[in-house]
Amino acid sequence: MRRVMAMVLAGGRGEGLGVLSMPRAAPALPFGGKYRVIDFTLSNCVHSEIFKVALLTQHQPTSLVEHIGAGRPWDLDRLGGGVQILQPFVRRERSLWYRGTADALAQNLNSIEDAQVQHVVVASGDHVVLMDYGQLVQKHEESGARVTIAVAPVAPERGHRFGMVEIDEQDRVRRFLEKPGPTDLRWASMGLYVFDAGFLIRALAELRGPDLVYDLLLPALEAGERVQAFRFAGAWEDVGELSTYYRASRDLLSDRPALRLDDPRWTVLTRNEERPPAQFGEQAEVSRSLVAAGARVDGTVRRSIVFPGAWIERDAVIEDAIVFHDAWVGRGAHVARAVLDKDAIVGEGATVGAAGDVDDASGLVAVGKEAVIPAGATIAPGSSVPVGGGRGRGLPPEASPKKVHGEWPR
Amino acid sequence: MNPSARYAFLLAGGLGSRLCLLSEKRAKPAVPFGGKYRIIDFTLSNCVNSGIFDVGVLTQYKPGSLRDHIGSGRPWDLDRNRGGVQILQPFQGSEENDWYRGTADAVYQNLVHVRRKRAEDILVLSGDHVYKMDYGPMYEFHRDRRAAVTLAVTTVPIEHTDQFGIVEFDSRGRITGFQEKPGPGEARSTFASMGVYLFRREVLEMALAEDADDPHSSHDFGKDLFPRFLARGIEVYAHLFPQYWQDVGTLDSFYRANMELLAPRPPIELADPEWIVHTVSHDLPPVRIGAHARLRTSLAANGARVEGQVERSILFPGVVIEAGARVIDSILFPGVHVGRDAVLTRVIADKGVDIGEGARVGGAVEPGEAPAPNRLCPEHLSSGLTLLGTRATVPPGRVVGRNVRIDPEATDACYASETPDGAHVASPPGASVSHGAEIAPEAAASRRAES
Repeated sequence: MRRVMAMVLAGGRGEGLGVLSMPRAAPALPFGGKYRVIDFTLSNCVHSEIFKVALLTQHQPTSLVEHIGAGRPWDLDRLGGGVQILQPFVRRERSLWYRGTADALAQNLNSIEDAQVQHVVVASGDHVVLMDYGQLVQKHEESGARVTIAVAPVAPERGHRFGMVEIDEQDRVRRFLEKPGPTDLRWASMGLYVFDAGFLIRALAELRGPDLVYDLLLPALEAGERVQAFRFAGAWEDVGELSTYYRASRDLLSDRPALRLDDPRWTVLTRNEERPPAQFGEQAEVSRSLVAAGARVDGTVRRSIVFPGAWIERDAVIEDAIVFHDAWVGRGAHVARAVLDKDAIVGEGATVGAAGDVDDASGLVAVGKEAVIPAGATIAPGSSVPVGGGRGRGLPPEASPKKVHGEWPR
Repeated sequence: MNPSARYAFLLAGGLGSRLCLLSEKRAKPAVPFGGKYRIIDFTLSNCVNSGIFDVGVLTQYKPGSLRDHIGSGRPWDLDRNRGGVQILQPFQGSEENDWYRGTADAVYQNLVHVRRKRAEDILVLSGDHVYKMDYGPMYEFHRDRRAAVTLAVTTVPIEHTDQFGIVEFDSRGRITGFQEKPGPGEARSTFASMGVYLFRREVLEMALAEDADDPHSSHDFGKDLFPRFLARGIEVYAHLFPQYWQDVGTLDSFYRANMELLAPRPPIELADPEWIVHTVSHDLPPVRIGAHARLRTSLAANGARVEGQVERSILFPGVVIEAGARVIDSILFPGVHVGRDAVLTRVIADKGVDIGEGARVGGAVEPGEAPAPNRLCPEHLSSGLTLLGTRATVPPGRVVGRNVRIDPEATDACYASETPDGAHVASPPGASVSHGAEIAPEAAASRRAES
């Protein structure tokens, strides 16, 4: 689709993710055993044959920039189009951080103009969804709308988190309520839009405020512009909160996950780290889990997701846990209902979290990147350990599996 | 010396007939190994990890799957504007230089590729071995000694000396004797040539030109060139490499080398971030392990799915083990599907093999027991392994013995009433396996997704 470009809002601070969002932007959050959240949106673009993609970044872009590189894993290292990372930059007349979603787009108006496209898909970089944007664009073209909003059904009790829309029988949007109180509206905006490029360019030029919904969409609706809805029935999750991130992750472990990572027609593309096959030791016990290449399991793993290079030692037990790259869980440690960020160390015999109701987000533990839980320590359910926390206490700062055990990777 | 001026020829023409089925449709360097690699990945990764980014891969025998694997050289960072990897197939020229007549002839016919290179030394490698070696120290040794030629050598068990070029050398490393595959009891040392040769460029050019004109030569480095060098007093040195090096030229050594990876401390560490073994990675999800699965002392690559039990086995990408199935002491190549309640013991299954529900394939060999060797290749298939070719099928409930060879594409109709120890199940008439039709893990996944 040469007439379409995608602007991906990837600046999210992801405050709801707590310590997990400290070292990175939410779209760079690891997900699903080997992916980053942004991989889903990027893969959707590529499979939908949208090869002009711009990522609007702001908060902690380093890990995202490294992950995207020149865009090779997505075949987006191209002469024409490809992937661009648009970070706020210093200008002669003014230099401003992006103040909001619409402001980010407005500051990059020239990128949209230069692309000379008919339609602009605006997507969020912190949503996990597998979706053909082609159908969305096609619906948009057929209806002749200025804007088409992708919508998904949500349970009434969750409506307060979303922009809720009222649609008529022709799928035309009649009302749009941003994060309303209790509501009987069923359709939530997925934060995924396709705009008529000319309309978007004009609207951004006349923008009165920084927000895409309040300052662009709502005024357009009020002015009587045609705004359509595109109903999407598949799995979709905004993983900008620890609870939703955890739920979306756990769904991958169900017998029939709503999000299919193994669909050969819609592969999730990511930067492949060159790691050996996953290794399972003589006493490993693994059930209902995802274990990525490069991981090593010598202990017990139940209902968990283990990323590349993570190592679950003998007699350690992890359950309902998510263990990011190169984290280490020492002998006899017990980790339950927890997310361990990259390079975290759980000392021998330590206890992190406790088994319990996995739907109760208040019991989740988040352990920050490179944090160290000293041997034998206990981290109570519902708490979090800051990035690098515990280094220098209990274990020496240079403590790492490689140091403790003498050689890599033991 | 500037490593960027280094150049390596990688000999990847290998017929590998002792690997039986595994190398009948592909060159030996392209044989899968270790859960996700091909044998050649070790040597190619050695090159890039040693800073050699200019490599010519010499192919001849069934190069298709090797060509597909290497492609533009991206996984090894060898897709470069200058240098990088080139696949050098035999070509027709003005003279009678058609097919390569031997390893030395293969390099001779491709010397044209180094004509404009600055390399002062030329490295000649074999793509048949599993080892992690930094060639840098060998270059230093070669320079220090002002050697004409340096061979890397390693120690091998005395009973295996008949498979290698055996060298004797003095305290400075200068080679004083060379025996190519000496008969039993005749080896004068246990230092074997690893098939890693570093030549001073002009020595290589002169020696190859001379050898090419010798009508009595078999044009082989080990058989012809090195003995001639020694006879003439040319300075040939041995550089001792004391670490793991494995020739995986026979089925048994291939199987053993794979199984060694399952040790808590394997002899060759694949997870070393300082020495990554690069290969082509497919975009496949993490290993999916079911609610009632068991997976112990095993390796499993991304894209594998395990519902049954797996012990002491290696699962390549896209392998599926259904519920109730048991896989023991086996190596399953990409896309193998093991049906419910099937039992596999000491099996090597090539790509896309399909094991029907409840089938029992292979078996353990008790001490002192000697199951009948395979009828078709008794010399290679006698230790009790059972071998299945690409996309072969085992019918549901079928019992298949040990030392059995099941040819590619074999279907239910190909089986006789029994498949005892040593049996051979032939491909159906007219079946041909082209490498182009090889099953990609993704394709296998899609086949299952549709079923």
